[in-house]
Order: sequence, then C-alpha cells, then structure tokens
Amino acid sequence: MTVPDNAWVFDTGPLRHFAIQGWLGVLRFLAGERPIYIPDSVERELESAAAHVSAARAVLEADWIRVHRSTSHDFAEAFAHYADRLFADGKNLGECGVLAMGQIYRCEVVIDDATPRQIAREKGIRVTATVPLLCEAIRAKKLTTVMVEELADNLLEGMYYLPFGSGGFRQHVLENGLLDYDEL
Amino acid sequence: MADIDAVTLGERIREARKRADLSQEDLGRAVGLERTVVNKIEGGVRKVTALELSDIAAAIGVRMSTFFEEPVPALVAHRSSQGLDTADSQIDALLAKFASEVEFVASLGVDELGLDAAGVLAQADITQPSTNAEAEALAVKARDLMALSAEEPIRRLSDCVAKVGLLAFSRDIGKDTADAGTVLLPRGGVSLVNSHMKVGRRRLALAHELGHYLIADAYTVDWRVADHSDHVVPMESRIDRFARALLLPKAAVTRQWHEKVARSGVRRAAILLASEFRVDMATLATRLKELGLADSEAVVQVRKNRTTQADIVEMNLYVPLEEMEGTTVPRPFARAVLRLVRDERISRERALGLLQGTFDETDLPHVRERRADEIWDFVS
Repeated sequence: MTVPDNAWVFDTGPLRHFAIQGWLGVLRFLAGERPIYIPDSVERELESAAAHVSAARAVLEADWIRVHRSTSHDFAEAFAHYADRLFADGKNLGECGVLAMGQIYRCEVVIDDATPRQIAREKGIRVTATVPLLCEAIRAKKLTTVMVEELADNLLEGMYYLPFGSGGFRQHVLENGLLDYDEL
Repeated sequence: MADIDAVTLGERIREARKRADLSQEDLGRAVGLERTVVNKIEGGVRKVTALELSDIAAAIGVRMSTFFEEPVPALVAHRSSQGLDTADSQIDALLAKFASEVEFVASLGVDELGLDAAGVLAQADITQPSTNAEAEALAVKARDLMALSAEEPIRRLSDCVAKVGLLAFSRDIGKDTADAGTVLLPRGGVSLVNSHMKVGRRRLALAHELGHYLIADAYTVDWRVADHSDHVVPMESRIDRFARALLLPKAAVTRQWHEKVARSGVRRAAILLASEFRVDMATLATRLKELGLADSEAVVQVRKNRTTQADIVEMNLYVPLEEMEGTTVPRPFARAVLRLVRDERISRERALGLLQGTFDETDLPHVRERRADEIWDFVS
C-alpha cells in the first residue's frame, strides 16, 4: 500500500496535543483534502497513552486518520535505520515509523521532538510541527491566539528549546509578522 | 543498503534467534505470534511488518538494522566456523553487539570516535612474532605507535590502545568464562575485557588483546590469558610475552628491580614495582623470571606476595582510579556518543543505551538553546 505524497504523517505527540485540547476537528479542517496518516508504531503508542489519557482514544477512533502498516523491505530498512538513531528502552518507536514514511513516500511529517526533526532535515524529509499548525489554525480563524498561546508557549519553551517562556509565542508571532494584530 | 528478499530476511531472523538460544515457541510467545507463524516468517512465506520486525529484534536482543546489514567480515568468518546452529556465548554476543554499535557510530561520521588512528598500523610493518625476541620487539613498537616512551608505566592502557584504533569495553561477565576477546573491524577494532578479574589481570588481558589486534587476528576469545603453554599454543604464548613486555618494559624493570632489591629487599621491591607498573604479582613474577632477574626462590616469593593496606600507607603507594572497573566504555566512543547527542543526531535514550549505564540522563549534555531568530524553524 502506498501513501500519497501530499499526506500529513503525524507523530504521537502532535496528535495527542490536538486530541487533549479537543481540537481534532480543527486539524481535520486544516488538512482539507490532504489525507492524514499515522504508522502502526504511532497507533501503538496512542493505544498505550489511551490507557492513561482518554483523549488519545479519540484519535484511534477517528476514521479520517488512517493507519499505515507496511511489509515492504525498503520501509522496514528505513524504519530500522531510524530505530538505530532513536529507539531505546521501548521509547521513540512512533517516530521511527513516521520518519520511515517521510523517507519512503516523500510526504510531510509532523514531529515536535528536536532530535527526530533534526534527523528529518538531515535526510531531506519535509517536516512541520504542532506550533505551525496552530498558527495556521489562527489564520484560518478556527482558533484564537488566546486559545493556543499557553500550549504554544509550553511547546516552544520545552520541546524546541527556544529561549522564552510565558507570553513568548504571542510576542514572537507579532514581532515576526507571522500573525497580524487583527488575527489575535 | 542491502537489497534483501523475504527468504534472506527469514534466514537472518532464524540465525539470530538460534544465536540467542531461543526456540520458535520462545520467540512467538515474546512477540505474540503463533510458533507456526514464526516458522513461516523464517521461511520467507509470511510477510512481516516493520513493527513486527522491530518486536522480533527486541525479543532476540539485537538491533533491527542487523537484519538488513552484513556483519563485519570477522564476525561472518567466526560464525561460519562455529556453525549456524550454535548459540552465541556471552562474550560472542557482547563482541557482536559492541562491534555493531561502534560501526553504527562510525557510520554517522563522528571524528571523536578516532578509528582513523588505526591507519598508523598500515605503515608499521607488523608481523606475527615467532620468537620471544620478536614479541619483545613488537612491544617496543607498540609503545612507539601509542606515543609512549620506552620505559614509562602505562597509566591507562584502555586510553592508550585507542591511539591505535582499538576500542576497549569492559563488563563483568562472571568467573567461569573468557577473560577477553577482540573483533577486528574494517577500520579499527573492539575488545571486551571481563572485569570480574582484578585490575592487574584486566590490564594484562587488554595488553594481550592488543597483541592480537596488532597482528590483525580477525576474531579472538581468550579464556586464560598468560596460562598458555609454549608447546601447545606457541602464538598465544608469544602474545602473552608481548603483553608482559608491553606493561613491564625490559630496561625499566631490570634497572628498577636491581635498585629496589638492593635498597628494600625482594618483598618491598616487588610491591613497589607492581604498584608503579599496575600489574599483578603473578605477572611480575613471570616477567622477572623470563628476564632472568630473579632466581626461582625469589620468583616464588614474588608470586605469593600480596600488597596489603598497610603497604599502601607505609610505602605511600599511589592508588589511581582503577581502569576497566565494572562496565566501562572507551573514552573516544563515549565522546562520539556525546557529540551525537549534542548535535541532536541520536535520541538521548539511545545515547544512554550506547553508553551502557555508565551515564544517566543528568550526565548528558544539555540540548543547545536556540537563538530567538530560529523561531522560523518552528512557526513558519
């Protein structure tokens, strides 16, 4: 089974953020015609998370999020390479499947963690993350800055290691012309 | 990248399972598959998903990538000589694991690993020593290659061998097993020293492994370093001689032994010399004997000697942090892994695994804080 190159392939973290905030519908709107996929390795992580965070269950039940399983050796070899870089102690298996899909099907991946993002860039895989999607949701007037800024602040500070804390997101999107005042 | 078919993949799974001494039932139980399904996967009949393959690798205790790569030639030759159905001994399994991990780190092109240092061996014109004199000469050459003077004591042998591209790991693998082993890589080599032994024996074992490495022995496992009979295993005996000569250089030992015996007697001379050169008494006794420095009575006395706590205090002995204690990884390997973490090229979890528990999360370098203008990487 092949995956179209306009698909978005999500890692566990970004989907969990949207699900926990109750914004899966926003994500579906943003995707528009683009199909949304997760590899079975992310499905497994979400199943594991659903035991503790019931919102993760919503992702598994969303019929517009397709689960990709591959028996192709090229895919497995790519998966194995990313496992060599990331997987240990039962952790980071989801990202290995996401990066393998990005490499094999040339589609854009959605990952928040710094290291797999860096690896994606090294491998020429198109990569985006939760915060750009939130910005797009604000531009599309599906969410307001007030709604997203706490989550964006936390992500920017904690996962991307940007040097600002509370209030940083709002200030930066304005200073950098990413969003206009009337979009806030 | 290997272009493999289902049958080859299945064969590799079967071989890895057997080396891990697991039955098809064992493997099936661990990954939630029927034995018959495992059999079909190994036969190349039933396709396997990447996630299933990852589970299979974890259950067998190998990296998933090993199914897609040829192991280093030294391992291939060793396994083929052992027979395909043979389960790996603990030291075989660890040597294969460390060789694979060093090769993985090397594949990411990290200079810190230092395997290029092995290049000096190509010009060194090293041949197998066929006499004791040649073993002594090889020890002199080895010191030169490792930038050591002819007479200085070797403080940290594990750091020195890295200067010729040999990466020495240590782990306590128990009493009734091998002392050490070495596998040659396409560039450089990997040794494992059993740290169940005391420090003097660990250093002797590593010096012995260096001998194997220098003469380009592809794969060696040594069970009782220094116990080799000249008649039964002459090459091992030559390498034992090399190891002693490396740690206890002839000129320095000869001069110091005479001086110390004249000043303090045999017992104190032995304690001082063993402390200075970080060797055990049995090794020192054998060295004194082979250099003709002590008569048989003195040799027996040295062999029975034991350095006590009182000796350490009264003779003001220097007791350094002992090398290869418990689980250790070679310094260049640790440095390379830290570089990969700093550059965000491997996950922190993977780094901790590669470092084998010698680091914890708080020991790892902090992730670089981005400049504010790098926000474009994250919000554009």
